Amino acid sequence: MTVKTYAVEVAGVRRELPVVQVGPDVAVALFNMLGDTEVVEEAAAALAKRMPAEIETLVTPEVKAVPLAHALSRLTGKPYVVARKTEKPYMINPVSRTVISITTGKPQLLVLDGTDVPLIKGKKVAIVDDVVSTGSTLKGLSDLITDVGGQVAAVLAVFTEGSPREDVIALGHLPLFKPD
Amino acid sequence: METYPITIGKITRHVPVVETLPGVHIPLVEIMGDVELVQAAAEGLVKHLPPETDALLTLETSPIVLAHTMSALCGKPYVVVRRKRRPYMQDPIIQEVESLTLGVTETLWLDSRMAEKLMGQNVALVFDVVSSGGTMNALEKVAKKAGATVVARLAAFHQGNSKLPITFLSEIPILQTA
Repeated sequence: MTVKTYAVEVAGVRRELPVVQVGPDVAVALFNMLGDTEVVEEAAAALAKRMPAEIETLVTPEVKAVPLAHALSRLTGKPYVVARKTEKPYMINPVSRTVISITTGKPQLLVLDGTDVPLIKGKKVAIVDDVVSTGSTLKGLSDLITDVGGQVAAVLAVFTEGSPREDVIALGHLPLFKPD
Repeated sequence: METYPITIGKITRHVPVVETLPGVHIPLVEIMGDVELVQAAAEGLVKHLPPETDALLTLETSPIVLAHTMSALCGKPYVVVRRKRRPYMQDPIIQEVESLTLGVTETLWLDSRMAEKLMGQNVALVFDVVSSGGTMNALEKVAKKAGATVVARLAAFHQGNSKLPITFLSEIPILQTA
């Protein structure tokens, strides 16, 4: 069996991404940074250089971009907050939004712990994600940040996917594919 | 808010104490978002990695940042087991977790592409907090199903009284009220 792949370069690191079908008419190059320490560290270093100086806090959605936000936080000294996909019993005054995930077609919750809100309220925030595709997560997360009084001043991602986007600082672009 | 001091290396945090069951209060540790604490824990735990370790194995979500930082320090790769089935997964390894706390079962998922990387490898399990050991046992089963050998069980924190074969850096008590 041959596996179709798509070659990418992330901040000088080459990877072959498997192309997998995710819907009846669409396949994507699967970029999964979890466990790829080299890509995460190099991408974080490249994004740190391009991050606007005014940024005060990083916000990232659970799960795949968490190591990237962590590394970016370590490099820039700016704190990061993880928006969770479920409300946790220990959260204090959680704030949430529901977005429709394009990948699964299902509603997806994004939740901020109330204890993290002071890091966002009145601050210039950068959203950090691995891949910005349709932007549904981005929209939901932006609304959530605005709801708690933060200002989204930048969006940082490793890749944009599908249609190119001017509003995202990205290190590369992934096309969509037709299944075989 | 009641807090409790926890320490790893030179880093001390005063974490909130939460009541999980009536009369049972536990200091709540969240390493995600705390770069300094994660760095201290990673530096402490990589010293306990057996030299024969080929890879680290962890699960989502909080311990990912610890595994990533350990990986950056020791140069060994890490694999993340998921708690939900992802749409792209092919022929995943599926493992139930038996939770002693609430009797609620959850399921761990590992895509076959990731499992292949573990075949024949010596792996160290990485956790932020281990309490009952139920999740640890399930992760160990995932490792074995993937054809890996578990050579170490490492946790930043151990919580509770269970005697488990783990290496940890700091003890967190379970506080009972009369």
